[in-house]
Amino acid sequence: MSAVSDYHTDSVLGGSFRDPSGFLFERDGTLYRQINRTYQEDYTHLIESGLYAALVEDHAIISHQEVEIPAPLPEIAYKVIQPEKLAFISYPYEWSFSQLKDAALATLRLQEKGLEFGMSLKDSSAYNIQFHHGRPVLIDTLSFEKYQEGKPWTAYRQFCQHFLAPLSLAAYRDIHFTQLLRVDLDGIPLDFTSRLLPRRTRLSPGLLFHIHLHAASQRRYADAAAVSINSQRQVTRAALLGLIDSLRSAVSRLEWRKTTTAWADYYQADHNYTAPALEHKKQIVSAYLEQVKPGVVWDLGANTGVFSRLACERGAFTIAFDYDPGAVEINYKEMKSKKESRLLPLVQDLTNTSPGIGWQNKERSSLGERANADLLMALALIHHLVIGNNLPLEHLASFFHQLGHWLVIEFVPKDDSQIQRLLRNRQDIFTDYSVEVFERVFGEKYLIRQVEQIRESGRRLYLMEGR
Amino acid sequence: MLELLTIMSYLGAAGFNTGPQKPPLYLDPGSGSFIFQLIIASLLGGVFIVKAYWKRITAFVRKVISRKEDEPEE
Repeated sequence: MSAVSDYHTDSVLGGSFRDPSGFLFERDGTLYRQINRTYQEDYTHLIESGLYAALVEDHAIISHQEVEIPAPLPEIAYKVIQPEKLAFISYPYEWSFSQLKDAALATLRLQEKGLEFGMSLKDSSAYNIQFHHGRPVLIDTLSFEKYQEGKPWTAYRQFCQHFLAPLSLAAYRDIHFTQLLRVDLDGIPLDFTSRLLPRRTRLSPGLLFHIHLHAASQRRYADAAAVSINSQRQVTRAALLGLIDSLRSAVSRLEWRKTTTAWADYYQADHNYTAPALEHKKQIVSAYLEQVKPGVVWDLGANTGVFSRLACERGAFTIAFDYDPGAVEINYKEMKSKKESRLLPLVQDLTNTSPGIGWQNKERSSLGERANADLLMALALIHHLVIGNNLPLEHLASFFHQLGHWLVIEFVPKDDSQIQRLLRNRQDIFTDYSVEVFERVFGEKYLIRQVEQIRESGRRLYLMEGR
Repeated sequence: MLELLTIMSYLGAAGFNTGPQKPPLYLDPGSGSFIFQLIIASLLGGVFIVKAYWKRITAFVRKVISRKEDEPEE
């Protein structure tokens, strides 16, 4: 730990500069948060009112320790705290529908709990919520401010933009609208949402108020500025609780309904394995996992997480990535019902992974910048990337190599029915796609530690260690 | 839509209180959102209170009915 603090040598995190209450910084590989003097009164109230302890007990806020280390900016510092470490930082555009919905409901519970203890959330950014041990928790310790009787909820607009807008668009139009959160860092604009939602959503009181009339009010009072904001009008505590209750019922009523057949298809195994072959594949993957004993596993193309669970069950924190929001939704619901605290299902398109976005592209990190896996699993995946997306094997090998040290990868030969299906309507330009070329190309980046042929199948499972 | 908003603003104004109001600190609540919240919060607060009382009334009625059902017939 540094004896002398230096703001310029500490790495200040890109996403924590907007709020003047404090900022996150990394020193010697550990994450800290400087709390500024301007937040002293609020922080003292957070602790002394018992709100912090109550939220920690409910697993609703990330816990922290106050530490005695030199602050990066001592002239404005009040305290330095060390928050509990998170296994992974994920973003709302990587969540499934129910993850975003649970994060929204968690935010409303936080606001309600805050009011009980005389505090209110001064922001309600979806980025303040993270999934920790399978639950949505508030990670911004500085989000609460002392509640002033009569003051409206400053974060109302942000809540509607970050949560209600994407959820309603996903529920009434298309799940892919949640991806707009990647375009607009401060949530989806309400006038845009209002125009896109079907007219019948005006019959739902929650959406009528918080999206349609809210957007109309924004249009109407766009130039009202300070005069109105500094008006003498107030929102009573009962009115504020009514607002929160109304938002909660609006969010709770939103459901993403896929057609019954589409959901049912997910339960049909999307592969061409016989039962013994599938069982054998599970045995091989389990044996590889037991050999490496990874702490963190990334399962790429995890579908509903059948193989991800083999890693979780062996104690690894496992992220199950899939490009299909439907598969991630099923995986998340199963994770919730089974209380699997070491599993994190996320939406990720491997051919267009999350980029760095926001101010100077540093507010939200790219997937590569967040890489922390000890072991990657790429099961029944590479044929989709090579044949389905024309990605050269060399590119895949170096992509996987950047993300994690160990690799469990399945090679699917060209005569496999899945590949034949991919080639059904196109010319076979993949003359280099063979097991020999695969082993040579991956051999440049990895040492092949083990290979097993899957029983009753032409597919092979490799355990590789990064060079 | 805007007409409805105007009517609501008159309805909501009836429930407004007055008092000192500090401007918000770091997050811009947006003037349209801020004014809209002032308009609808009183209305939603009213609904919330009615809902809370309604829950109490139904709970009381349910309790009375179940007590009657439990009483042995004479």
